[in-house]
Amino acid sequence: MEAMSRNPAHASLRLRRLFRWRPHQQWEAYLFILPSVLGFSVFVFAALIASLGISLTDWGLVGPKAFVGLDNYRSLLRDPVFALALGNTAFYVVTIVPLQLILGLLLALALNQGLRGRETFRMIYFLPVVTTLVAGAIVFRLLLGSNGPLADAVSAVGRLIGQPLSLPDLLGSTRYSKWAVVLLTLWKNTGFTLVVYLAALQGVPQELYDAAHVDGATSWQRLRHVTVPLISPTTFFLFILQTIGAFQLFAEPFVLTRGGPAQSSLSIVQHIYDSAFRFALMGKASAIAWFLFFFIFGFTLLQNYFQRRWVHYETE
Amino acid sequence: MSLRNRSAHSALLAVALAAAACSPAATPAPTSQAPTAEATQGAVTLTWAFWGSPEEAASHRLVADAFTKEHPDIKIETWNEPWDNYFTKIQALWASGDPKAVPDVAFLWPTPKYAAEGVLENLDPYIQKSGYNLNDYWGGLLESAKYNGSVYGLPRDIEVNVLYYNKTLFDKAGVAYPNDNWTWDDLLAAAEKLTVKDASGKVTQYALAVEGGKFAKWVNQNGGGILDDYVNPSKCRLADPESIAGVKFFADLMNNGYAIRDADLSQAGGDEAVFLSGQAAMIIQNTSRVSAFNKANLNYDVALVPIPKGGKRWNPAGGAAWVISAQSDNKDAAWTFLSWLQSKDGGEKIYTERGEIFPALQSAANSPAFLTDQPPANKQAIVTEAGASGVGGFGYFPDWDELNGTIISPVLQKIWTGEADPQQVLPELCQNVDQFLKDKGYPKK
Amino acid sequence: MQALSPRSTTRLGQPARGLLYTALVLGSLIMLAPFLVMVVVSLWPNQAFLERRFPLEQITLANFSETFQVIPFGRYILNNAIVAVTATVLQILISSLAAFAFARLRFWGRDSLFLIYLATLMIPSQITLIPNFLIIRALGWYDSYQALIVPALFSALGTFLLRQYFKTIPLELDEAARMDGASSLRIWWQIILPQSWPVIAVLAVFSFQATWNDFLWPLVVTSSDSMRTIPIGLSYFVGQYSTAWNLLMAGSVIALLPVLIVYFVAQKTFIQGVTLTGMGGR
Repeated sequence: MEAMSRNPAHASLRLRRLFRWRPHQQWEAYLFILPSVLGFSVFVFAALIASLGISLTDWGLVGPKAFVGLDNYRSLLRDPVFALALGNTAFYVVTIVPLQLILGLLLALALNQGLRGRETFRMIYFLPVVTTLVAGAIVFRLLLGSNGPLADAVSAVGRLIGQPLSLPDLLGSTRYSKWAVVLLTLWKNTGFTLVVYLAALQGVPQELYDAAHVDGATSWQRLRHVTVPLISPTTFFLFILQTIGAFQLFAEPFVLTRGGPAQSSLSIVQHIYDSAFRFALMGKASAIAWFLFFFIFGFTLLQNYFQRRWVHYETE
Repeated sequence: MSLRNRSAHSALLAVALAAAACSPAATPAPTSQAPTAEATQGAVTLTWAFWGSPEEAASHRLVADAFTKEHPDIKIETWNEPWDNYFTKIQALWASGDPKAVPDVAFLWPTPKYAAEGVLENLDPYIQKSGYNLNDYWGGLLESAKYNGSVYGLPRDIEVNVLYYNKTLFDKAGVAYPNDNWTWDDLLAAAEKLTVKDASGKVTQYALAVEGGKFAKWVNQNGGGILDDYVNPSKCRLADPESIAGVKFFADLMNNGYAIRDADLSQAGGDEAVFLSGQAAMIIQNTSRVSAFNKANLNYDVALVPIPKGGKRWNPAGGAAWVISAQSDNKDAAWTFLSWLQSKDGGEKIYTERGEIFPALQSAANSPAFLTDQPPANKQAIVTEAGASGVGGFGYFPDWDELNGTIISPVLQKIWTGEADPQQVLPELCQNVDQFLKDKGYPKK
Repeated sequence: MQALSPRSTTRLGQPARGLLYTALVLGSLIMLAPFLVMVVVSLWPNQAFLERRFPLEQITLANFSETFQVIPFGRYILNNAIVAVTATVLQILISSLAAFAFARLRFWGRDSLFLIYLATLMIPSQITLIPNFLIIRALGWYDSYQALIVPALFSALGTFLLRQYFKTIPLELDEAARMDGASSLRIWWQIILPQSWPVIAVLAVFSFQATWNDFLWPLVVTSSDSMRTIPIGLSYFVGQYSTAWNLLMAGSVIALLPVLIVYFVAQKTFIQGVTLTGMGGR
């Protein structure tokens, strides 16, 4: 994960200093990570190993019935619901992640213009992030419903301009239900992206902008060549986080549409949840989870590899 | 080493300690635990689990108190979760494998699925020993609580679906109230008049609101079915012409704007909400709605659900059941409680009087507990529909939940949205159902 | 203009400003619309909502008091506060210790261990639910605060976030302190943490809202009213057949208030931290 600083000579000097051998750092470092590693071992690693074991068995409600090897994994390949859920989840990833990054950055840039009332705006945009999702999703069901206020507003506008306008049935049709989930997710999470971006933008030294200004750079050029590269670690962080979040999308479609109609908004994690807690197929559920894990893991490794090309760190 | 340095070290130590063994000082004593029971000599404590709103929970506690009054040696501790969470929670408890964590007596649906997992006690020996009368249950109802021919649960109520109609809206539209002879054609004719659209063609008042999940009513009334055998199936029947016609009748009600689409209904808050608000003039539903409608002083009554010409009356025989955990330490006491719950003058009476259920026992339904002077007036319609109960609404085998949840109901949902034509998708659906049954080894034996 | 807006990156003209304001206000309205619905529904009886008619004379605060009568909502709020505050503080301490080691110390297995940490982010939490439940029971923590708090303390995300930030702090600071004989622990506590207020504030808000709104885990590991939390309390209003919309929304509004207060406080600290440490401020 060592991205190079712009100046190679400078960087190597720093590297040498950092890696000057200090034997006492070894045990010290282990002491630092001890509380964390201890907790992880119990609540994450142990649990994971258990679930890996479960995925190799026919595990019903009260425990393993039989060891089945890789049967659970093999049967996934023939499971049409799994394929459908995978497709839906891919849709969520390719819509939610870029939309959220772009919206969040645009809003952060707007709020970084020194407008009056910035705190109020930030507060408003952040409000959904801290709201209980269940409450938010239920309100969205009311708002987006085919007889909801939004549909009424659209038909009212239609009457005003003399055109028959109507809102597509966002929640009741298999074509649009995923978009309803995307809308809810954007409403809920964009504020987080905004706040993180805003914190990053405030860390960009004003001198760099001033220098660029003196050099006659346009606002677009300053954005493109100063702001975007300097906040790239933030972008990388948000990108990874949101990609993982989108792959693991569960509560949003679960509360908003129950994954329906006709499984059109079913996410892969809801498929895991259904398998485990509705159908008591623990082995199958674990197998899907591990499949998903390898999927995300490969994706992240790929991103991590490509980050060298566009992420700039100050040190190392 | 400065002072500051040491304080930082102790902070680290504190964190490490907190992580390793989060101090238990803050834990208040659990309010309800076993030790109190052991203290009372000879008394047995049962944990009793059910789902429900705070109001329903109040009814359950009343029942528990009434039982303890008759059986002072058995104490009941209640355990309550909201409906949506109940099954997640109870499955997690069973999966933990810790018998102390699992309730002794629980409310459950569907019984065969859990019986197949081995977590439920076979009730046959208890029934034989005590001479408990199974004949008082409505026809077909006990099938829903059987597994491999043995009874694993006692259903508390039976789902009796009747036609609720809003008299005010019928009067406004000048439509005669439904009667016992109504057929599907009469329903369509009334629906035509009861549907109100605004200038843009948007429906503002639906004639009918019925959950998509109740489609089996139309199918069975028309002589169709879902499966050839509901206990040990070998073949899907949804592609039979009678079944397709039943599904199509329902789908057309929605496609013509007479009935609210299934997905829209759940967004609008379910049939209770749309009936209360006058958005729908009729609903088809079980008796659980009565108390809400009476509370709102709604001007309504119930009627028999219209049948097709030459069709037959049919009602799905099913209802959540009381079960005993196979891991219970107090099975005899649990049976005492269970058989009291399911007796005409015990639990059944209290639930029925409070308007929460239509009783599983015919004797309780024909008692004053049910035949009150409260609305709806036409209680005979409910009794008649209950008498038409039979299998056909769902499978009584362990894999039914999965089959229905992942294969059958998604296709039906697509039909309810108007995006799929029953004639085209049902034959393909049946192929998938047959494949599923084959993969799971049905028919067994 | 420059004096009024020290962080401005460009000098905007009047029309551009107007456009920007319009866009921001429009966006705000979209963000706020659901809250408006929430508040309106919470102020009228359920029947008013069902009929979608909200006559002014029916406006009432009864839903808020009824929420507390139907379920022990006060206790749920207290539990939520205890769990969210404890978990947030401890999580930041534990994560920052680990992040410090990952970002600024050298030890055998560092990068592989960090990669493993990152990898755990990719595991859906639903899958560790049952094993973790077994662990909690084995520890005797079922239906206790420990069960709600301890598993939430070990955050790969927090560690990742802090490490990324720690890496942007110049290493010269550590070097200078080491020359003066400072230990790593002192560097963590006196140099790195004070420099990191912005990221800590972000993490605090994030972690607080996650524990505050968590649903599935508290549902599984608690059973008594004395240990239940708000999200589970709210779900009591969504019945098998019907929903008490008015109570659900009143409860949601009540649940929202403490988080808003925390956010207000964190926002002040956040800005204060930025000014105090001179991070990016000038």
